[in-house]
Amino acid sequence: MSNVSDRVVIIGGGHNGLVAACYLARAGLRPVVLERRGVVGGAAVTEEFHPGFRASTLAHAAGPLSPQVARDLDLGRLGLEFIRPEVQVFAPAPDGRSLRIYEDPARTARELQGLSGADARAYPEFCESFARIGRVLAPLLTRTPPSLDHPTPGDVWHFGKLGKDFRGLGKKDAYRLLRWGPMAVADLAAEWFETELLRAVVAARGITGAFAGPWSAGTSVPLLMQAALGGSPLAPAVFVRGGMGALTEALAAAARAGGAEVRTGAGVERVLVEGGAAAGVVLEGGEEVRARAVVSNADPRRTFLSLVEPTELDPDFLAKVRGYRATGTAAKLNLALDGLPAFKALGDSGGAASPLAGRVHIGPEIDYLERAFDAAKYGDYSPEPYLDVTTPTVTDPSLAPEGKHVMSVYAQFAPYRLGEGDWSSRGGGFADAVVRTLSAYAPNLPDLIIGAQLLTPHDLERTYGLSGGHPLHGEMSLDQFFTFRPFIGWAQYRTPIKNLYLCGAGTHPGGGVSGLPGLNAGREVLKDLKKH
Amino acid sequence: MAQKYDCIVIGGGHNGLVNAAYLARAGRKVLVLERRHVLGGAAVTEEVFPGFKFSVASYVVSLLRPEIIRELDLPRHGLEILPLDGTFTPMPNGDYLWRVNDHAKTRREIARHSKLDAEAYDEYGKAMVEMGRFVKPILSMTPPDPTSLSPKGLLDLLFLGRRFRRLSTEDKYNQVQLMTMSAVDFLDRWFETDVLKATMSASGIIGTFLGVRSPGTAYVLLHHYMGEIDGAFRSWGLARGGTGAISNAIADAAREAGAEIRTESPIAKIVVKDGRARGVVLEDGDELEAAVVSSSVDPRLTFMKMVGEEHLPGEFVEDIRRYKFRGSSGKVNLALDGLPDFTALPGPGAHLRGAVSISPSVEYMERAYDDAKYGRFSRRPYIDIVIPSLTDPSVAPPGKHVMSCFVQYAPYNLKEGTWDERREEFGDTVVDTIAEHAPNFRELIRDRQVLTPLDLERQFGLSEGNIFQGELTLEQLFFLRPAPGWAQYRTPIRDLYMCGSATHPGGGIMGASGRNGAAKIMKDKGWGGIK
Repeated sequence: MSNVSDRVVIIGGGHNGLVAACYLARAGLRPVVLERRGVVGGAAVTEEFHPGFRASTLAHAAGPLSPQVARDLDLGRLGLEFIRPEVQVFAPAPDGRSLRIYEDPARTARELQGLSGADARAYPEFCESFARIGRVLAPLLTRTPPSLDHPTPGDVWHFGKLGKDFRGLGKKDAYRLLRWGPMAVADLAAEWFETELLRAVVAARGITGAFAGPWSAGTSVPLLMQAALGGSPLAPAVFVRGGMGALTEALAAAARAGGAEVRTGAGVERVLVEGGAAAGVVLEGGEEVRARAVVSNADPRRTFLSLVEPTELDPDFLAKVRGYRATGTAAKLNLALDGLPAFKALGDSGGAASPLAGRVHIGPEIDYLERAFDAAKYGDYSPEPYLDVTTPTVTDPSLAPEGKHVMSVYAQFAPYRLGEGDWSSRGGGFADAVVRTLSAYAPNLPDLIIGAQLLTPHDLERTYGLSGGHPLHGEMSLDQFFTFRPFIGWAQYRTPIKNLYLCGAGTHPGGGVSGLPGLNAGREVLKDLKKH
Repeated sequence: MAQKYDCIVIGGGHNGLVNAAYLARAGRKVLVLERRHVLGGAAVTEEVFPGFKFSVASYVVSLLRPEIIRELDLPRHGLEILPLDGTFTPMPNGDYLWRVNDHAKTRREIARHSKLDAEAYDEYGKAMVEMGRFVKPILSMTPPDPTSLSPKGLLDLLFLGRRFRRLSTEDKYNQVQLMTMSAVDFLDRWFETDVLKATMSASGIIGTFLGVRSPGTAYVLLHHYMGEIDGAFRSWGLARGGTGAISNAIADAAREAGAEIRTESPIAKIVVKDGRARGVVLEDGDELEAAVVSSSVDPRLTFMKMVGEEHLPGEFVEDIRRYKFRGSSGKVNLALDGLPDFTALPGPGAHLRGAVSISPSVEYMERAYDDAKYGRFSRRPYIDIVIPSLTDPSVAPPGKHVMSCFVQYAPYNLKEGTWDERREEFGDTVVDTIAEHAPNFRELIRDRQVLTPLDLERQFGLSEGNIFQGELTLEQLFFLRPAPGWAQYRTPIRDLYMCGSATHPGGGIMGASGRNGAAKIMKDKGWGGIK
């Protein structure tokens, strides 16, 4: 094993941990990634959930991965193949009508003609406006949020420039940005479009992974983030051949190639703190791995409440950690299917052109989405949940036996805390609700189900180590955003414990398989370790 | 022959009157035109039933700016603010929460529910006062235009940035959460007692179409503490003679300074010639000329009805169309033969002299909101009850009482039926809800006035019945109120200004909008400054 002086321990082999490892290795350090599970990837994994059937068990679409990360790490070389289906989103309505979103706004607009001329006219400007604003916000994604107490000259310069770019947007877009930031996504969608189905498709992006409904303020932020990341307010359908696991495997390979060590089955029990500074970690089983720095890919609650001795942290800081909102509302149902379900709203299916190649949106109205959220507020799961469905086998048959299919269903709302009963007793009921909901659109679905895997918020916590079962390592609400993520005063990837860093989705710019928190954290660690 | 004024103020509500008073004190020739027979707009006292005087709409004094009270010398003009002490929340389990201004008492009362909360209550109070200090000067400033390159705009932004940076990290943290979080999420950080959180969070939703769990509702919690910072002897109070007395005192100050005030003078349109406001035309056809027109009515009435789209830039028209009113509250005014007897704390007593809040739990509040989201009035609404006659006997015959019930939620747009059809059903819901806590309540009712959002719109000219002339949501506050780029009290029409609640800081009987608007007019016109 490499000597301690250039060793950096990374707790957790999620995609951000692996990205951080890649950058640290490239800088000549010796990162050691310690993954508790037998497989790297964290929430971005491909697992066999039924004999012969593999799925991206948790995250089922790539963020998209930051182009900069993909470029820097030259992932293409590692045989990583992204799949971008023609139809990004297919949204059926109960009345048999449906809506298709294509990557090309003009084509989508033509599609919208059938539903509403006004919406067809509005859609391209909707996309362009977000794209313009996204270009101004994009640089923030790869920046370390400024410290409000002690901004560096770099911060000041950068924000002067940001202010200039902001004014460069012109009054109209600049004010749009200011208005949209705190706005409820339901209002945003209603300002642009009249078709309820389209409004719902737009609004859904604002509540995915959140403990919020479309009428909650601040739910427009994810659309702005998405625009900054990919130019489009609607999350694109970007998949990986072989499932999300192929992406994290490629990252692990890149890390190893760079000289990093990646260990699985190596659960970290606690962080070694000596004289207020992190000196390494102790593994379950007692093995000590000493290091110059420790970077935690685990979420803030897990990192500070279970991996670090409370006595090492100031009570006010601990209060902030306990106040950090990370109550998950998402569950995942992975289905092994005997064939491709027939959607009422579709004639033919199959082939890459098939609408099922992208994401299928179930949630026809704003009120439908809001009602789904209402249940969560009172500690119950939605009898009619919002669903984001992918059928990866349409474009990647390798995931299932010949002629069979895999359906990956992301379902909301399934609150971590249930008012009555617990998830072990009520999970089945929710799985039924999901299948029932989906069957309304694809009636033959129940007959096709060969096997199923339900991952409740408790499974997200237990199996994947996501505190509160929150897929984004904590709410992406305005109060836990940018320079307030995870906590105001601690948004620079550093922690109150010297040499202990955060690099997970609990840091800016947050959740989604983008690799950006890993990129930013890696840069800050290197700054401190003075290795360039 | 039309008469020429320096300024015509549209609407005799408290902001319009404040606006007129300051302009008149600056020596200008000012005319206030009020549509109704009585002054005050939503801050009005009316004898709805013989012998019973009601603060028909707005019913408490919260944040009337102290500089206005001082500068206009309102006490001399008859303003007297009486204490409204405490909030009493009856609970279905027979218990109650009774907070009063006496801090020690409140602490003991809260300790009855939770020792931890009693301790947290002190810290919470301290933190809120700090936050209030930060926000207070912002109330009286003209919002900057963050997109403008004018040095003034940049300086204002810098000023704000600096003030924020000077806060301690802890206060920054609180301030950010206060601006972005839901009232309940914010209170969860301090307290564990459900009824306490429910009652405190209620102030966050008043007049908005949001629930106590909706982000952005925490901010209003501050208002309860800013009163204290104002040095007012109470943060909440009642005006002797009802809220109309406030308007009358301001009107008196305006008249003394030479302003002319006409009631029953509804305006048909604002005269616009080559992009300038030149005066107004009354509904009876009279045309009045003025150098400046200052409107205290809401943007929809001002621009869509009185100015007319044809005179306005298309984008501005869109912005005004987008501006959200969404009235969500109603008012039920009752003439009573006696006092309600609450099961939780029987008999008449000091608990009835403050506000009685029907907000037994966070879930109760949230469910009330859920009804409204889907176009129903709450089957069990949040009600803020005040019995002014206990503090100010002059408003009711001896032994009798007036009761003011502010009710949420009552969405302007009902999914089923119209408000005209369902008005009394709404009134019954309110009475039934109160009767659940005070069984003798029904027998006490002599007369009842039910005001739905539709009635608020018709009677007080509040579009969609929004009591704040437009929602106080983040995207409609500060430099976005009422429209992006038009938050400086000016309008796309030269010499037409806004001075009502639809401008920063908006909402409540503050008077700040009227005063800020007057300052802007005087500055633009070189009429000197605030006196």
